[in-house]
Amino acid sequence: MTAAAATVERKGQTAIVHVRGDVMIPIARALHGTLRSLQKRRDVKKVVLELGEAGKLDSSAIAVIELAKRGLHRCGKELELADLLDHHRAAFELAPEVQVKAQPKGEGPTSLERVGDYVLALGATIGDLARLVGQTLSQAAAVAFGRRKLPAGAVASFILLMGVDAVFIVGLLSFLLGMTMAFQGVVQLEKFGAGVFVADMVGWSMVREFAPLMTAIILTGRTGAAIAAELGTMRVNQEIDALAAMGINPVRFHIVPRLAALIFVQPALTLMGMFIGIAAGMLIAQLMIDMSPMTFWLHVQQRVTIGDFAYGIAKSLVFASIIGFAGSHLGMRASGDASSVGRATTRTVVVSVFLIIVTDAIFATVSSLVGQR
Amino acid sequence: MSAMAAAARSEPLLQCVDVSVGYEKPVLQHANLEISRGEIVALLGGSGCGKSTLLRTLVGLVPPLAGHVYLFGESLYELEPEPRDKLRKRIGIAFQQDALFSSMTIEDNVALPLRELTKLPGDVIREMVRMRLALVGIADLARRLPANISGGQRKRAALARASILDPELIFCDEPTAGLDPIVAADVDHTLVQFRDVLGSSIVVVSHELESIRATADRCIMLAHGGVAATGTVDELMHSRDKTVFQFFHARTE
Repeated sequence: MTAAAATVERKGQTAIVHVRGDVMIPIARALHGTLRSLQKRRDVKKVVLELGEAGKLDSSAIAVIELAKRGLHRCGKELELADLLDHHRAAFELAPEVQVKAQPKGEGPTSLERVGDYVLALGATIGDLARLVGQTLSQAAAVAFGRRKLPAGAVASFILLMGVDAVFIVGLLSFLLGMTMAFQGVVQLEKFGAGVFVADMVGWSMVREFAPLMTAIILTGRTGAAIAAELGTMRVNQEIDALAAMGINPVRFHIVPRLAALIFVQPALTLMGMFIGIAAGMLIAQLMIDMSPMTFWLHVQQRVTIGDFAYGIAKSLVFASIIGFAGSHLGMRASGDASSVGRATTRTVVVSVFLIIVTDAIFATVSSLVGQR
Repeated sequence: MSAMAAAARSEPLLQCVDVSVGYEKPVLQHANLEISRGEIVALLGGSGCGKSTLLRTLVGLVPPLAGHVYLFGESLYELEPEPRDKLRKRIGIAFQQDALFSSMTIEDNVALPLRELTKLPGDVIREMVRMRLALVGIADLARRLPANISGGQRKRAALARASILDPELIFCDEPTAGLDPIVAADVDHTLVQFRDVLGSSIVVVSHELESIRATADRCIMLAHGGVAATGTVDELMHSRDKTVFQFFHARTE
């Protein structure tokens, strides 16, 4: 391989570029600069590229020459290739003429049409979700009445995966939450000599608000995202199509077991979170204001009723449905490629957290309106 | 051409000396082979004989269990990462599953090696990509995402990306698998163009006898855990080795 060089010789309004040696990527860049500067010069009307002493021309060299040809033509100038050797002509086979259909201008959608498209897409999404909910309920009913079967062991393995494996993280975060709340509560309530009411505060907040909400957020990140990713990957790999083609309902096979497991697991984890949070509060009350665990528990019993527990558990069931349906719906809508699975997973987390918080606010408003507390 | 340049040109681009490949156990042992400049070599063999594993070893992805791989005269697995990456810039690889980046358009996929590994200006890169996509016959698909084109078009996009740096050596893992005969013939024609126009040597792993006949200058048949035979398609078709004979004739009978 010989190093290339390009020198420019002027003859009136013609510039002759003598190219020597192989023209490969680094040299092509320099040649591109030379040809562009000649294109800009007003006193140059014609450029002759003298290739008699040039060696190999690679793709970048051909691209540079093609660009120069078009650029000079646009400026009303001419490019002539002189002394082309056979291997140079062969190299120009790298630049076949193609007519790419240009995108017609002015045919894009107007802003009103875009709004219309958005509304239609939203309607279609809601329709898809409603169909998925309907199918899931009908398939679940078919299973409950013994007309259909779930895949053997599927629910048990999902309970293990979604529930048992999440015990540690839900327990730890509930403990830290109960502890933090007790710390803050004791410090503030002690200012009014009402430190003992920390038990009422921790018990009532954990049971009605924090345990259901915290468990739902953990399960959104852990389980909802996993459901969307698993179903999305199956969709991309055509596993869902394969099931449907075999006459097996994908909703019954993949979604019902996951939802059944989630609806069982989420209240159980929420209940565990409630008691662990209360236990953490108990520990802090003992350490900070020397309140015995028995006194603490008596305060909790006086303040928190079975109705409060039922309220918290009912919320957790609704949250479980939100997480399950969001993950399943968005996972089943993934198509095409790996990035659609990533998008489905992200959207599941965002949509689930948003809907969980909105639902929580609705629960709080309705319960206060009906005068429950 | 000087004697020294002629000698450099006749040196094998790729050489395997007593190479054994596999993951836990070797599937291929004591393989010796050479790839010379400007030839298309087909790696043949039944399923599970180690063709794809050998290909991954040849491109530096799976270290051999024993032996040496010499790429452009350098022992590939004895090099430090930086010089090894420099050698890799001189090769192109088209994977079996095309391995296009799903979030990028076809033109961005093909332009990626140029943007990452060269300092060429943007307009030259765009022109090179346009030319290469035209060469493989998918110029009008430049703005599409890989998910929105057919399998044959993705294979051609993968070949365009593998060849965009004008590599001296291109590896293709089953480039025509699953394609209809017309598209497969187009892909074969593209490989021959890469050899004739770019001057690249090409190593093709393939099962498709029609494609092998249309493209390969030489075949290397893998069987019985090693290299069973080497030669032109005609030589292998008339081989007396039972496995080689069966491989070629079971399909044509």
